[in-house]
Amino acid sequence: MPEWLFKKDNYIPEKDSVNFINKSILSILNILTRFKLQSNAKADKLGVNDLIKLISTLVLIIFVSLSKNFTYILIADIFLLMLINFLSIDEIKYVLKVSFVMAAITLIILLPSIFLGYGNNALMITLKVFATVGFVNILSYVTKWNDLLGALKVFKVPDMFIFVLDITIKYIIVLGEFSLNLAYALKLRSVGKSISKSTSLSGIVGTMFIKSKELSEEMYGAMECRGFTGEYRVYKKFKFKLADYICIIVIAAFILAYFYLDRL
Amino acid sequence: MIDIRKVSYSYDNKVSALKNINIKVQEGEAVALVGVNGSGKSTLMKLINGLISPTSGKFIFDGEEINSKKLHDEKFSKAFHKKIGFVFQNSEAQLFCSNVYDEIAFGPRQMGMNEEEVEKRVEDTLKLLKIEELRNRQPYHLSGGEKKKVAIAAVVVLNPDVYIFDEPMNGLDPKTKRFLREFMIAINNAGKTILCSTHDFEYVKGVFKRAIVFSYDHTIIRDGDYEEIMGDTEFLYENNII
Amino acid sequence: MHIPDNYLSPSTCAVMGAVMVPIWTRAVKKVKAEMTKKKMPLMGIGAALSFLTMMFNIPLPGGTSGHAVGGTLLAILLGPEAACISITIALLIQALLFGDGGILAFAANSFNMAFLMPFVGFYIYKFLKKSFKSRKGENISAFIASYIGINAAALFAAIEFGLQPLLFKDAFGMPLYSPYPLSITIPSMLLPHLLIAGVVEGIITVGVLSFIKKVSPEIIYEGSSKKMRPIYALLIALICLSPLGLLATGTAFGEWSAEEIAAVTLGGKALGFIPKGMENGFSLSPLMHNYSVKGLSGSLGYILSAVAGASILLIVFRIVASMRKDIKN
Repeated sequence: MPEWLFKKDNYIPEKDSVNFINKSILSILNILTRFKLQSNAKADKLGVNDLIKLISTLVLIIFVSLSKNFTYILIADIFLLMLINFLSIDEIKYVLKVSFVMAAITLIILLPSIFLGYGNNALMITLKVFATVGFVNILSYVTKWNDLLGALKVFKVPDMFIFVLDITIKYIIVLGEFSLNLAYALKLRSVGKSISKSTSLSGIVGTMFIKSKELSEEMYGAMECRGFTGEYRVYKKFKFKLADYICIIVIAAFILAYFYLDRL
Repeated sequence: MIDIRKVSYSYDNKVSALKNINIKVQEGEAVALVGVNGSGKSTLMKLINGLISPTSGKFIFDGEEINSKKLHDEKFSKAFHKKIGFVFQNSEAQLFCSNVYDEIAFGPRQMGMNEEEVEKRVEDTLKLLKIEELRNRQPYHLSGGEKKKVAIAAVVVLNPDVYIFDEPMNGLDPKTKRFLREFMIAINNAGKTILCSTHDFEYVKGVFKRAIVFSYDHTIIRDGDYEEIMGDTEFLYENNII
Repeated sequence: MHIPDNYLSPSTCAVMGAVMVPIWTRAVKKVKAEMTKKKMPLMGIGAALSFLTMMFNIPLPGGTSGHAVGGTLLAILLGPEAACISITIALLIQALLFGDGGILAFAANSFNMAFLMPFVGFYIYKFLKKSFKSRKGENISAFIASYIGINAAALFAAIEFGLQPLLFKDAFGMPLYSPYPLSITIPSMLLPHLLIAGVVEGIITVGVLSFIKKVSPEIIYEGSSKKMRPIYALLIALICLSPLGLLATGTAFGEWSAEEIAAVTLGGKALGFIPKGMENGFSLSPLMHNYSVKGLSGSLGYILSAVAGASILLIVFRIVASMRKDIKN
């Protein structure tokens, strides 16, 4: 055994920042948490099927975006606040936080335009952003994502796309955990000044890519073994219950309100 | 049933993985593949599953030669893959659907069964492996043991004639290992052929009748009765098996 | 440079949608034909990779950090069509599942980041690689290609923003959507990308590429033997021609009012990088504050972006011309 193993080192590290590793770790962790959260989603609290939820959200976003009428947008915002109540406390906090943050950022971006005299416009966009971001976030909290993506099939999205979407979600988690481990390893080994941080980051991303290739080949082998020969069929049935019809009526009312308030 | 004649395989025609392999397996046998890491066991299993083709030699299954040209034919490929089930070492790669039900239903749906038949088979399989409560869960969020059971379920549902397990005991807790052992004995008794590579001799007592031993240089050095070979401690020690 | 919703009018979004549909269809067809079935799962993985790459923080001098998109990188690794699909999917997931905003603007974002960036970057890379034969030359080509790629995307995002007040006004002549004209959006989007984000993108692209070349070079996409179809070339040329005309109608410099100059410097802080809805304070806005255009007058910013735009056009035209020659031969 080499003799330095028998001694204690006297090591005083230089000052260096490994902030970027921490930040990367944090953002990956954030994403993974989001995925785990939504998979446990006691979805369907509203009792509405995924297709209707998707279509309703799209309709709401489109019409809010089209509208030039303040009253309409305010109605949308109030409707949003009503909907939020269907979520759990934690979810409410998340959704409100995101909506407020995005609205605040919008206001900041548009601040200069207020000086140019476009104050009305700035206010309108801010309110719109609050509504649209809110609606999308609610959608993402009340639906299981894989089901939501399956609902896209109705929009004539080719099966292959939905297949790739399903796999992407799976791999964001797999690769995310893998890269998290790499990042932790990097952090643990950062005992001093890391001269080339971009090299280590490139190393992580590069390893992730190579691992992805291997994973994809393995996965394809697994699919082949179960009879896959190239077509992927999505099997989704949507049942319509009372809650779905109520939802449809509400959305229809929303659309009518647009034409009433905006076009008159 | 499985007839491997003078098969050699090299990755990219450079790195040798199998040298002159000759094996015959009859229907209903229970065979253990034994040998150090890198001796070619996994490669052989991929070959038997039709994922790779021999560089030289022939692989004959049920009287038909199996190679990549033949597997290009969709019908032939589907029929072949239905007969052989492969449980990967790494369950991670084997599970790719978004929930357990769809995962298990994938095979039968690809085979063209109608939804009612599919449902029946899937439900039966879920019950058989005692994973009914996992039905709507996402495979990638399951524990190691649960993933393995789902992977096995996905294979069982196709009712293959041959089961191939690649290091199935890896990473499992003792309870699941015992379950797996009983499962293998049960399907063998039902007439299915099993091929299994394993290092974990503790938990596979009574499963296998025959053992095939691979050596460092990718050839077979012994092929015979399981108990006899496992009893020959000196031989096993020499070849780095225990 | 993700464009959120409500900044582009629904009609702009619809037009971008119409533009993207044939592009997506083409990409899907090409990928299906070219890739063996084995590589199909790779696209989902490419999408996951693209998504995750956008999450990594790259340390920059000054103690702040930035993000890369990896559009050109993916194109070099997987081929531009596969990269297009992968990035589209990453964007879809960001918009729909992470509530980033950008559902209506999805087609516009896809056009900038999933079409322009990978295609421009890829073809510039191929073109430059032929001129610089050495190993180092490949790295330089990759850097330049990804630098230009991300700036092309930023330029078009700026144009999409800047056209809004021109085209969509209410009865009083007030803008309905993004209120900043081209004269503001182009410099304020291009400068941060020319100065920082482009460099970051370049470094990451070169870094990852050289890592992969060292470790397993055989997985890099070799490109099909067919040259880019003339239709693609025409499409890109047409799209690139339009900014020339629009740049001309922008405010001539010299006629800047005090407010407009103030708006550029403030706008430079805010519009340079639009943070994604992950509520991480690690976006480039604090960065822009440190590197912002304080003291840089509006006209200089305008000149810079005009030069950038012209250079990009020149390069693209040259590529198109050389490809035309190859097809004729």
